[in-house]
Amino acid sequence: MTAFVTLAGVYNTPVFGGERSRDQDLMTTSRALDQFLSTVEKRAFKIAQLGLRNDDDALDAVQDAMMKLVQSYAARPVEEWRPLFYRILANGIRDMQRRRTVRGRIMAWLPVRDAEDDEEFDPIAQAPSHDAGPAKRLELDEAIGVLETAVAALPPRQQQAFLLRNLEGLDVNETASAMGCSEGSVKTHYFRALENLRAKLGEVF
Amino acid sequence: MTDPTDFEKRTQEVLEDSVARLDGHTRSRLTQARHAALAQLEQPARYWWRSYVPAGAAAAVAVLAVVMWSDPSTQPPANPGEDLELLADSDAPDFVDDGDDLEFYEWAAGEVES
Repeated sequence: MTAFVTLAGVYNTPVFGGERSRDQDLMTTSRALDQFLSTVEKRAFKIAQLGLRNDDDALDAVQDAMMKLVQSYAARPVEEWRPLFYRILANGIRDMQRRRTVRGRIMAWLPVRDAEDDEEFDPIAQAPSHDAGPAKRLELDEAIGVLETAVAALPPRQQQAFLLRNLEGLDVNETASAMGCSEGSVKTHYFRALENLRAKLGEVF
Repeated sequence: MTDPTDFEKRTQEVLEDSVARLDGHTRSRLTQARHAALAQLEQPARYWWRSYVPAGAAAAVAVLAVVMWSDPSTQPPANPGEDLELLADSDAPDFVDDGDDLEFYEWAAGEVES
């Protein structure tokens, strides 16, 4: 993370400070937020995807978190953005999981529609993002599939602790802030997550 | 069994690979989402009191209506038809009926002309 920067000035511009100064502050904030969001967006999507097991819902959750961060916390110090963003995202994922549970009960007795029928061919979506060799790609595909299945099956709090620590690289303090719990709880959830994963993946990994 | 630290490193590598291999469609939508979020910053600042303007205007109109309703000077006449009858009365003015006055007016007019 770069040096500590406070962007509160954007919203505390003096009345006689002039339009130019305000525009410059806004540009600075916008650039900093753009940089921050572009850094976290892909890992945030992966976390949401594993928690929700649905790409569209995961994208919605990430977009909501981005919106709320910009709306409500842009003026906070840059160092606070990461735990704040993941806390917003975690709340969004939890809300979606709850809504899905309720919707699932209602929809259980309705005829199921095949979602793949609605998918149109998108050449961009089909484009591979990396040029690994076929054997390497197959190996990675298997590893990713096995790990993601195991992570998705973890209890929500363990999954959250594992992904924030292991994928996003938050420390215990930041993870506790993002999860809204104590550092001790984070350590417990993370330890149990590792134990669960090791029990399932030990032979594969 | 793998050493815990190695196990963590391995899972981290695999997850990072998974993130790096996100398809173009997903990456594009994430970029769009980011731009949409940042566009909020460019919108003009919203002041808290602006949200109360419509409610304040409605309250002012309500108070004005109550005041006008309760003020007798602004009340309409109890019987609006009465004024209409006076205006529409077909009776001629008094001086037309009074023949003496008419002769007086004709004499007065002649005096002025002479």
